[in-house]
Amino acid sequence: MNKKVLIVEDDTFLKDLSSAKLTKEGFQVTSVGNAVEAAASLEKDAPDLILLDLVLPGTDGFGVLQKIRENPKFTKTPVIVFSNLSDDSDVEKATTLGASLYMIKSNFTLDELVSKIKTLLG
Amino acid sequence: MDKSAKEIAALKKENEELKKLIAFRSDLISLSAHHMRTSLSAVRWILKMLIDKDFGELTKEQDGMIGRAFESSGRMVEQINEMLALGHKDTSNFEYKFEKTDIISLIDSVLFDFTGESFKNGIEIIFLKPDTELPKFVFDREKIRVVLQNLVENAIRYSNKGDKVFISVAKKEKAFEVSVRDTGIGITEEGGKSVFEKFYRTKEAIEKEPHGTGVGLYTSKRIVEDHGGKIWFENMEGHGTTFSFTIPLSLPEML
Repeated sequence: MNKKVLIVEDDTFLKDLSSAKLTKEGFQVTSVGNAVEAAASLEKDAPDLILLDLVLPGTDGFGVLQKIRENPKFTKTPVIVFSNLSDDSDVEKATTLGASLYMIKSNFTLDELVSKIKTLLG
Repeated sequence: MDKSAKEIAALKKENEELKKLIAFRSDLISLSAHHMRTSLSAVRWILKMLIDKDFGELTKEQDGMIGRAFESSGRMVEQINEMLALGHKDTSNFEYKFEKTDIISLIDSVLFDFTGESFKNGIEIIFLKPDTELPKFVFDREKIRVVLQNLVENAIRYSNKGDKVFISVAKKEKAFEVSVRDTGIGITEEGGKSVFEKFYRTKEAIEKEPHGTGVGLYTSKRIVEDHGGKIWFENMEGHGTTFSFTIPLSLPEML
């Protein structure tokens, strides 16, 4: 059974790229562009891991993360915050809210992301 | 008395306004960096996927060119990161965390991070550890790490294949002193005058390494001086440079 990854990313191009890469690596990928779609997708089909951008239209990634962790179903689901924000305060906030890992997009390539995902999924 | 109270109030108000302005500028820097990184992420991811043959085989020439584009985009990321670090250090976010720290283990850890790069460039890094054990000193570990990184990085960058870089640390009467000596290209007298200035790069440095930002030494100087220490260099043009800095054993109380 392929592991399921939910990508929450509003930049269509980055979303398509990461989705293509993860699919190629054998993951079953669902990708959404905002908090509302994320909530709907989580309701429908529980992912094994969530890749979460922070700057989103409407409710931002912090809000999404908070909602995820409030849901008993997802308290243990690994969440990688994948953002280009790098202020200490952002990293700290995400970590406090329960992010498993904080990665700055431009500092990593997609193959490095894949290896982090594989590590987190054991 | 009344007058001075008024003056103080006016100064306070001005101070608040300046703080707001600085915070605004800092936000602006973060935001611009976020935009630049987003565009850059896409470029880097695609280049890496091409290199990894995700889109099929490449000719040797294509592979070489794309490899260079990938490296170049990596430097851009570094520059953004550096700009961001500097932008924030220039604001109220430049805060220090002082703790008793073992300088030897810090240097070891910095040098470890450079093993790959020094090996790639054919440069040997030698840490001349003191004979006697050093006590722990009070300083900001992460900030001094930045200083050490800048000095070691420069030493590697401005050396040639086969050169050596020596790092030493010693306890003096009122301070401890760290030196990074290289056998690289050296600094001319003219260049030496401005080498600690922001965005300044010597002609020789630009020739050797076109992609530097000219903020490493500026930042280092600021960090060392905020610790109450000194940073300087001694030069043998064409035979290398020694950069040294001191951190007082008892940090000034204003910190």
